[in-house]
Amino acid sequence: METASVTPDIDTTPETVQLLSGAQALMHSLVAEQVDTIFGYPGGAIMPVYDALYDFQDRINHILVRHEQGAGHAAQGYARMQGRAGVCLVTSGPGATNLVTPIADALIDSTPLVCIVGQVGKKLLGTDAFQEADVMGVTMPITKWNYQITTADEVPEIIARAFYIAQSGRPGPVLIDITKSAQLELMTQPYSYERCRTIISYRPRMVPKPEQVEAAAKLINGAKRPYILAGHGVQLAKAEDELRQFAEKTGIPVATTLLGQSTISTDHPLYVGWLGMHGNYGPNVLTDEADVIIAIGMRFDDRVTGDASKYIRQAKVIHIEIDPSEIDKIIKADAPVVGDAKEALRALLKLVHPNDHTVWRNEFRKYDVIENETITVPSLSGDSEKIQMGEVIDLLSKKTNGEAVLVTDVGQHQMMASRYYQFRRPNSLVTSGGMGTMGFALPAAFGTKVGAPDRTVVAIIGDGCFQMTLQELGTIVQNKQPVKAIILNNNFLGMVRQWQQLFHERRYSFVELQNPDFITIAKGFGMDGHTCSERETLSESLDRMLAHDGPYLLEVIVEKEENVFPMVPAGTSVSQIRLA
Amino acid sequence: MTTYTICVFTSNTIGLLNRITIIFTRRRINIESLTVSETERKGVSRFTIVIKHESREEVEKLVRQIRKIVEVMAVFGYLNDEIVYNEIAMFKISTPLGAKPLDVETINSKYKAWVVYWGLDYVVVEKTGTETDIFDFFAYIRQQHDILEFVRSGRVAVGKTEQGLVEYLPEAEWAYYL
Repeated sequence: METASVTPDIDTTPETVQLLSGAQALMHSLVAEQVDTIFGYPGGAIMPVYDALYDFQDRINHILVRHEQGAGHAAQGYARMQGRAGVCLVTSGPGATNLVTPIADALIDSTPLVCIVGQVGKKLLGTDAFQEADVMGVTMPITKWNYQITTADEVPEIIARAFYIAQSGRPGPVLIDITKSAQLELMTQPYSYERCRTIISYRPRMVPKPEQVEAAAKLINGAKRPYILAGHGVQLAKAEDELRQFAEKTGIPVATTLLGQSTISTDHPLYVGWLGMHGNYGPNVLTDEADVIIAIGMRFDDRVTGDASKYIRQAKVIHIEIDPSEIDKIIKADAPVVGDAKEALRALLKLVHPNDHTVWRNEFRKYDVIENETITVPSLSGDSEKIQMGEVIDLLSKKTNGEAVLVTDVGQHQMMASRYYQFRRPNSLVTSGGMGTMGFALPAAFGTKVGAPDRTVVAIIGDGCFQMTLQELGTIVQNKQPVKAIILNNNFLGMVRQWQQLFHERRYSFVELQNPDFITIAKGFGMDGHTCSERETLSESLDRMLAHDGPYLLEVIVEKEENVFPMVPAGTSVSQIRLA
Repeated sequence: MTTYTICVFTSNTIGLLNRITIIFTRRRINIESLTVSETERKGVSRFTIVIKHESREEVEKLVRQIRKIVEVMAVFGYLNDEIVYNEIAMFKISTPLGAKPLDVETINSKYKAWVVYWGLDYVVVEKTGTETDIFDFFAYIRQQHDILEFVRSGRVAVGKTEQGLVEYLPEAEWAYYL
């Protein structure tokens, strides 16, 4: 964290000292934290802040979304690109409760957010006042930290803490509930701002203990079949280079989790694929063959482990993790390394011996051949009547040279996007992993584009997901953000349908959708788009979308009942992975 | 089922009790007793939470989850033999005219309990001790008298290690609170 105190651009000479209102102090505090973008939606209990914001339009770009959930997901996309907290500003009651889903999503996927929500005046607290909800109580289990500001004087210190907590250690969402009275009243002392550097009870360990690193290095140096499982934590620590150097020096194969994808280029010789329920065949199965597992910035989610009681029992486990509560939570670590992934990998790099595990690495290739023959080739063959999801992603990957940022929603299309996009650049996948929030992609893609204006941002969305947050088309158009959105339309809630087919004897219970005309809807919002239903026009359709100057919606009509494989059925061990 | 005593040291802020108990609720762990008070250091609260659990591993995970709360400074999970612990109980005992007289000597000398209030036709007896001590006394009183009300405080405990608070929360940090 930066330690310099920040001088506000207000006159603080004693004779002319002007006391700020809580709302004004909030604006100055945000500027002091270098916030230049806010995703928000005004309302009664946050109006004094919006009034103060009126004077800050030259310094803060406020983006008016269409629904508070959209503000939250957009802030998540923004945060993932910028590597710092996304900021949301909403009103009390329903404004705040609409943020609940993105907050929960951000907590489980370790995304830094600072959510500032209005609250009724202090005197009305607890009286069931208009638009009063116990937002502190509601968000307590889903925030890294939350706090209710009831006096203007608290504003600078609490905002400083909020940003420090959201962005340091394992990042996460912070919620600040600020009463209308605190926004309106004047501070009793001149405003001053100091960035938070430390909190007595909160001190995330960045540099791991040397003895932990040594123990890990010893295991790695003695390993015959070591295997790296790289998670989102690598990206959060900006440790992509360190991961690559570490893998290259030791010759250890690298698999990633869903959220760890793109930390290492998919064409890197040491990259073997991704893990999890719909991850690659070899990377899943061979976790059972490794003798040393090096888990970096990942938390052994049940979608990765399958039946955790049968997962990597044979291996010694090194767990590099910044959050000590993750150690031994699911999988017992033989050598825990508590610290930041970048620091840990740097320290390890000095202690590990150069190696080359060619024979072991080649085992992955054997499985690749099987996966390729049974799944990948048929999926991309173009033999089916309608377009298959994989074909769209594969073609998109080629056309964007693997350099776009993919923002995916939740379901079959999400898994297909991860399977078939060949990521070439770090930090190129934004998806809702832990929470599995349908409706995430469209607003998140918007925020991603705002946070990474120089990159091509493509949202991959299912027809079900799209209808959960499609109102954010309005935000995209109003802000002229050239987000490209692809709806893979199979007229089904595809993943649920797949489960019903495989595990519920094809009893399709409420999974078929009668969809609207998506392109007409987009055009109604002022966004251009078209539908592609023929394989022959797919390539040209993608070109048209990518070349379009401005946001664009491409609807691709895909095979109705395509399934995602491989698949580790829920609750089984990874070795029971199904190829069909 | 083993009894665990979890001591949590926190900064004294509104809502923290809620944040801590959520962690138990989410894992469906029942809290046997819970007491909170300020420590010898201003602004630092001490929670003493008693639970019963089959798995030490799960309790360790619970402790780590509590430690994760931003305002929590330290958490310790103890077995009974690692702590000195006690609780306090009050018995409101009916003593109407004509009833069996209260055997104050036995109450005092055998049970180390004290009459702290004499009402018109009842007395309040206070007993400090472990859960077992208190229930022994409860059994005795119930044989002799009608119990009008009975209340226990929940456990308070200090660790048996030689260390004081300051040693696990370094001195430098305390200046902030003094």
